[in-house]
Amino acid sequence: MGTTVEKNTGERLPVEIAGIRFQNPVMTASGTFGYGSEFAPYTDLNRLGAVVVKGLSLKPRQGNPGPRIVETPCGMLNAIGLQNVGVEAFIKEKLPYLRKYSTRVIANIFGETMEDYSEVARMLDGVEGVAALEVNISCPNVKKGGIVFGTDPFEAAKVVMAVKKSTRLPVITKLSPNVTDIKVMVRAVEDAGSDAVSIINTLTGMVVDVEKRRPALATVTGGLSGPAIRPVAVRMVWEARKVARTPIIGVGGIMEAKDALEFIIAGATAVQVGTASFIDPNAAVKVAEGIAEYVERHGTTVSKLVGSLEV
Amino acid sequence: MESKDRKILFNEVAAPGCFRLGLEWRSAEVTPGQFVMVRVSDGLDPLLRRPFGVYGVHGGRGKNPLKGNVVELLYKVVGKGTRILSARERNESVNVLGPLGNGFPEAGKDEKVIMVGGGMGIVPFLMLAKKLGDGLLLYGARGKSEAALAKDFKGTACRVKVSTVDGSVGAKGLVTELLEREITKDSVVYACGPVGMLKAATKVAAAAGVRCHVSLERSMACGIGVCLGCAVRAKTHGERENRNYMMVCSEGPVFDSEDIDWELL
Ligand SMILES: Cc1cc2nc3c(=O)[nH]c(=O)nc-3n(C[C@H](O)[C@H](O)[C@H](O)COP(=O)(O)OP(=O)(O)OC[C@H]3O[C@@H](n4cnc5c(N)ncnc54)[C@H](O)[C@@H]3O)c2cc1C
Ligand SMILES: Cc1cc2nc3c(=O)[nH]c(=O)nc-3n(C[C@H](O)[C@H](O)[C@H](O)COP(=O)(O)O)c2cc1C
Ligand code: FES
Repeated sequence: MGTTVEKNTGERLPVEIAGIRFQNPVMTASGTFGYGSEFAPYTDLNRLGAVVVKGLSLKPRQGNPGPRIVETPCGMLNAIGLQNVGVEAFIKEKLPYLRKYSTRVIANIFGETMEDYSEVARMLDGVEGVAALEVNISCPNVKKGGIVFGTDPFEAAKVVMAVKKSTRLPVITKLSPNVTDIKVMVRAVEDAGSDAVSIINTLTGMVVDVEKRRPALATVTGGLSGPAIRPVAVRMVWEARKVARTPIIGVGGIMEAKDALEFIIAGATAVQVGTASFIDPNAAVKVAEGIAEYVERHGTTVSKLVGSLEV
Repeated sequence: MESKDRKILFNEVAAPGCFRLGLEWRSAEVTPGQFVMVRVSDGLDPLLRRPFGVYGVHGGRGKNPLKGNVVELLYKVVGKGTRILSARERNESVNVLGPLGNGFPEAGKDEKVIMVGGGMGIVPFLMLAKKLGDGLLLYGARGKSEAALAKDFKGTACRVKVSTVDGSVGAKGLVTELLEREITKDSVVYACGPVGMLKAATKVAAAAGVRCHVSLERSMACGIGVCLGCAVRAKTHGERENRNYMMVCSEGPVFDSEDIDWELL
C-alpha cells in the first residue's frame, strides 16, 4: 500500500506451491525435458522455476514400438509408452547432475498398480534434491482391466492416498483431461490429500494414414500436445479454479510468455512448458523472461495475476 | 551443438524438386553422416523441426572438408515443410539445431569403403567421399534428373557408379545389385536410403562377411534424445533391459546393421 516492496522483478516472479518457493512460475513439463542434462548445452537450467523430469516407474520401461510420434496441425501425437530408466537409476545416475543446479527438481512418477505408485513414492522420499512429486494418473491400471486411474475419481483418490502415505514430500497430482468434468477430479484428489494439481496431461487422439488405411501410430491412439490443445487446457484450468483449494499448475501448448499468462490469469499459480522445448530448447527460459517483462510493464507480481481474470 | 538463426546464402534447384540450401555458419565442424533440425518457418504449422543430413561444409581456411563457414543441405520437396523451406529466400534466416547425431564411423585401415546411396540417401556421402579421398559410391537414382547429382562427386577421388531402375542412366536395376557385384571381403559398406534398400544392403554385406553401417530415418520431434519418439528396435533383446530401443537422433542416425532388428523396422 503505497510502499514499493516489489522493486525488482526478482521479487515479482516467485510463487509458492505446497510450501515450496519457486524462483519463477515456469517449469518444464514431464517427458519433454528428459532428465534435464540433455538441455544444458542449449539453455540455462538455473533460470527455470523447476525441472520436472520424465515419468519414473518402479522398474525401467522400454516403451512402445514405433512409430511413436506423428505431427498434427499445430501439435503432435505421441505414444512413447512411458519409456524411462526407472526410479533407482534416476536417483543414482540422473539426479546427481541436477543437484548442481539451484533449480528445484520435481520427480514425475507413475505406476501400473497402487503398490507401484506407493513404492516409487517411498523410494524418492527423503532423497536429497527432490522438491516434490508429481503423480501422473493418466496410466492404465493393469489390475482393473486397463482403466485409466485418472478417469475415475475413486481410483484417482486412492492413488493419491497411497502416495501420500509413502512420502513426506509435497504431492502434485497431474490430471488427465480425458474426463467429463475436471472439477470432480480436482475435488477427489484434493480430498485425498493432494497438495496441488497440474492441468492438463495430453488429450487422447488418433491419426489415420489414408493411403495405407492404418493408424499413424503403432499403438493406434496417442496423446495430443502442443498449441492445438491450449484453449482446452486454459478452459480446464479456469473451471478447476472455481473449486480448487490448492494451487494449479497450468500445462498445455505454451509456446511463449503470452500463452503462459493466459493460464496464470485464468487461475494457474505456475505453468509448465512441454512440446515447445522440442522446437526451441530454450523455450521455457524465454517464457520466464517474457513473464518478467510483463509483470514489470504492468507493475504487478505473478502472485497477484493468478486468477485475476475478469468475466 | 547449438540452436541458432542461420542466414540463407542460397536456396536453389539442384534437380527437379530438389534443392541446395546454403547456410552461413561460422566455424562449422561436421562429421559425415550428421544432421541438423531446421525450423522451416516461425509459424505453428508445421510445428516440428525437419531433419536433414549435411551435404557439405565449405569456405573454411585450408582444405579440410569437414570445417568451414557454409553448411550446405540437399533436400527433396515431399510435403508441407519442405515446400515451405523451398520458398525461403536468400538473406532470410532459418533456425537450425545441430549438428546432431553420431555420423559414420572411421573405416578400418585395410577396409575399402563402398558407399550405397538411394535417392536422397546420397546426402551424407559427399562429405565422406571428400574425407576419405577415395572410395566407391554406388548411387541408386530415381531417374535421369536425380542421377545428375552424381556430378557433385567429380571433385572427389571417389569412383561413382550409378544405377536406375528403368536403366535411363547407368546400370539398370537396383543399387544393391551393383553392390553384389562390387563387394569383396575387404569391403566395408556404408548405406543410406529407403529401408528396403538398407535391408538388402545388410543382407549383401552379411553374405560377404563384411561390416555394414546404415543411416536410418525416423519421424523426429526433438532431435536430441529427449522425446523418445524416434525409437528403433535393437537386436540385442534383453541383454540390457533398457537398451531394447535405440534413439535414431541421439544414438544414430548411423548404426551397425547387426544391431538393428530389421523385422520390426
Ligand atoms: C536423420 C534424417 C536425415 C534426413 N536427411 C534428409 C536429407 O538430407 N534430405 C532430404 O531431402 N530429406 C532428408 N530426411 C527426410 C526429411 O526429414 C523429410 O523428407 C522431411 O521431414 C519431410 O517434411 P515435409 O513437411 O516436407 O513432409 P511431411 O508433410 O511431414 O510428410 C510428407 C511425406 O514425407 C514422409 N516423411 C516425413 N518425415 C519423414 C522422415 N523423417 N523421413 C522419411 N520420410 C518422411 C511422410 O511419411 C510423408 O509421406 C532426413 C530424415 C532424417 C530422419
Ligand atoms: C513426448 C511426450 C512425452 C510425455 N511424457 C510424459 C510423462 O512421462 N509423464 C507425464 O506426466 N506427462 C508426459 N507428457 C505430457 C506433458 O508433460 C504435458 O502434460 C503435455 O504434453 C501438454 O503440454 P504441452 O502441450 O506443452 O506439451 C508427455 C508429453 C509428450 C509430448
Ligand atoms: S527425435 Fe526426440 S528422441 Fe529422437
